[in-house]
Amino acid sequence: MTATVPPAIVPTTTVPPATALPRLPDEAACLQTVARLKAAHEPRVVVVGNPNTGKTTLINAVAGTNLKVGNWAGVTVEKREARLSVQGRPLLLLDLPGAYSLSPHTPEELITRTALLDEGPDVILNVLDAGNLERNLYLTLQLMDFHVPVAVALNLVDEAREKGLTVDAAALSRVLGVPVIETVASKGQGTGKLLDTALKGATLGIGVRYPQAIEAAAADLITRMAELPTLPPHAHRYLALALLEGDPSVRGRLSATGHLPLIDAADAHLAALDAEGVDALIEIAEARYARAGDLARVAVPRAEARRTLSERLDRLALHPLLGIPIFLALVLLVFRLTFSVASPFVDLIGGPLQTTLAGWAAAALAWFPLGRDLVVGAIIPGVGTVLSFLPTLLVLYLAMSFLEDSGYMARAAFLMDRIMRGLGLDGRAFIPLILGFGCNVPAVSATRTLERRSDRVVVSMILPFMSCSARLPVYVVFAAALFPRSGSWIVWSMYILGMAVAFAFAWALRRTSFPAEGGGVLLELPPYRFPAWRVLWKHAWRRTASFAKRARTTVLATVAGVWLLLALPAVAGGKFATVAPQDSVFGRVSEAVSPIFAPLGFGNWQATGALVPGFIAKEVVVGTLGQIYLGEQAAAPAPLSLWTGVQGAVIATWDTIKTSVSAIPTVLALPRLGTDTTADQKTPLAQALAAAFTPAAGLAYLVFVLLYTPCIVTVGAIAQEHGRRIAWITVAYQMGIAWGMGFLTYQLARLWM
Amino acid sequence: MGERTLDALNPGEAAHVVDLDRLHPLRRRLLELGFVRGARVMVVRRAPMGDPVELRVGGTDLALRASDLLGIRVRE
Repeated sequence: MTATVPPAIVPTTTVPPATALPRLPDEAACLQTVARLKAAHEPRVVVVGNPNTGKTTLINAVAGTNLKVGNWAGVTVEKREARLSVQGRPLLLLDLPGAYSLSPHTPEELITRTALLDEGPDVILNVLDAGNLERNLYLTLQLMDFHVPVAVALNLVDEAREKGLTVDAAALSRVLGVPVIETVASKGQGTGKLLDTALKGATLGIGVRYPQAIEAAAADLITRMAELPTLPPHAHRYLALALLEGDPSVRGRLSATGHLPLIDAADAHLAALDAEGVDALIEIAEARYARAGDLARVAVPRAEARRTLSERLDRLALHPLLGIPIFLALVLLVFRLTFSVASPFVDLIGGPLQTTLAGWAAAALAWFPLGRDLVVGAIIPGVGTVLSFLPTLLVLYLAMSFLEDSGYMARAAFLMDRIMRGLGLDGRAFIPLILGFGCNVPAVSATRTLERRSDRVVVSMILPFMSCSARLPVYVVFAAALFPRSGSWIVWSMYILGMAVAFAFAWALRRTSFPAEGGGVLLELPPYRFPAWRVLWKHAWRRTASFAKRARTTVLATVAGVWLLLALPAVAGGKFATVAPQDSVFGRVSEAVSPIFAPLGFGNWQATGALVPGFIAKEVVVGTLGQIYLGEQAAAPAPLSLWTGVQGAVIATWDTIKTSVSAIPTVLALPRLGTDTTADQKTPLAQALAAAFTPAAGLAYLVFVLLYTPCIVTVGAIAQEHGRRIAWITVAYQMGIAWGMGFLTYQLARLWM
Repeated sequence: MGERTLDALNPGEAAHVVDLDRLHPLRRRLLELGFVRGARVMVVRRAPMGDPVELRVGGTDLALRASDLLGIRVRE
């Protein structure tokens, strides 16, 4: 820490314009704030702004690799912070979630508001969209009701100029009374000196002077607050105004902390104002908008009417006839991209890479058979399972972030709102459901875009019925074995059945446990924007990595558990790890459980046993069926020399990259409907399945695989988002529904087949 | 020239806000987004299935359901 802390410079240009009445901050408090700023060993700069102002891009540009991403305590909203040094001076940069106002409507806004109250901010860095100043300034003016110095980053100035606006940052600084720095975050313009200017120049600014009756009531409340040491002094004016606005969250917080007399005083003021015909909520909003309008007219003196790219794109994207087909085509494109690009990598990880590693491990541990079997039989496949999810997730997350950040997701919600209404949901809920077809895991985290908790829970609970890509191999194998003629119909009907069950279940949940919360629906349609690749990549990478971290323990434990049960002999004289599957504990337990599935037509231990690893990942069901029916023991692979192994892995990786890249053009081709191609080559497994299952039982088995408990990773994601209780309930009712639907399918199918 | 509720406007038409129903479920948020007295609101388009409705107020484009337009009174 250097001794030469720069003094807080009050710009000489803070002469208020004639249109605005200056709020004269209490001078002593002002000096106190400045002193605190100077003395703060590590000043806290909080970054606040409306959604879609390019705030995240700005933070990335400013903080770079110092940015630490975590979660806010107790909620799944991302917390971004960075410890930086500006001209040798340390500071803590804290990015608050996007907010339209400080009267919270979403969990994100509640966090922003709470952080402003509790995190002791020394400077507020307010990010504005230069193209939409009036609305953005509403938040700025609300921020100025706090007693915290403000600096403004006027972002997206390039976009505003393309819209035909003339943006004058100097004029805005003059009328607002705080430093204003023009930035184009996506190109790194203006971001270099941003923090330095904010630290040195931030001032309290010229906020709003509300109508006299309201100012008087606020002043009285502030006087009362002065005697309450528990209320942070920098928030007194904000709290007083929020009480007069009737902000339910502030009232709730104050009453929970024992400030009932304050609420009573506010209510008395509100009653008096009402008697005079003053609606404080409206008067306050109007005063802020009047001032925001004045400020915007000074900052943007000239606006040509120019039709923007967004308007032209929307003409197509929201077209009465083409809008929905375009949306569906885009979804299809995302999935084809995901699977064409990712599946070669998935195959590589699941195949050659694992075999090579297993070979090495087997060779290295030859002297210790038990350890070798554990590593080869459990640990490598376990890690492999987690890894094989990653390419799919990375591509899917990239595509999802692109659609989100570009502004298209908001359009999708607009198009789909009408359909979702019957379920008490709004259009935004359609997106996680669609993503569920790819992989349920990112779909669960996508429920965060929904405002109401009950909506998030309902969507997460029905999501696993959407047939994710991991279930497809099971359908394909069974369709080829049992229904060689109508395979594609079988596969399609699984998807449709999953959706039907999901919708029916949402309807039922709404009528029982999670009634739709009332309240209107408001969808913002932000301008289209080409997202910065760096930000997209960072997002996708971080989400994927956090998935890997979360999944590895559960998946490893489950795989090791299954391996152990398969290795433990249940018969006298059986030897550990070499026992035949049907004589293992696993086999015996499966056998004991299997009568439960007799009414579904597959009450044998083989079919039942294969469902168990399906908890880990549903595509494993096929592998396990193979192991059981064909007696393929998980025999130790032949040991490879180090060199052959490396060679093999390099060649395989290169082939993978080639396949993956060459798949990109074919993504644009029409999708192949159906899976009949697999029918002509009846594999040994298909033959075994055809012998073991009647068509009716096979169909029931597929229905069960479609509907039963999602993979353990999805359960983990649901637990993380909504708590263990909801996760367990989901597991339980899905088992029940899967059984019931399997039973119905088998009994009905028997009548026809 | 009389007062109407916002749902009566056709795409492309604009009007000025008179007031929001006191019981409007989105009253607070709409005020914050600029639905204050005198503000100009334009109906941009309706969604393919007729609902929701895209509106433009200030520089903001947003969509509301037709049922939520009933509580917004406007005049030319």
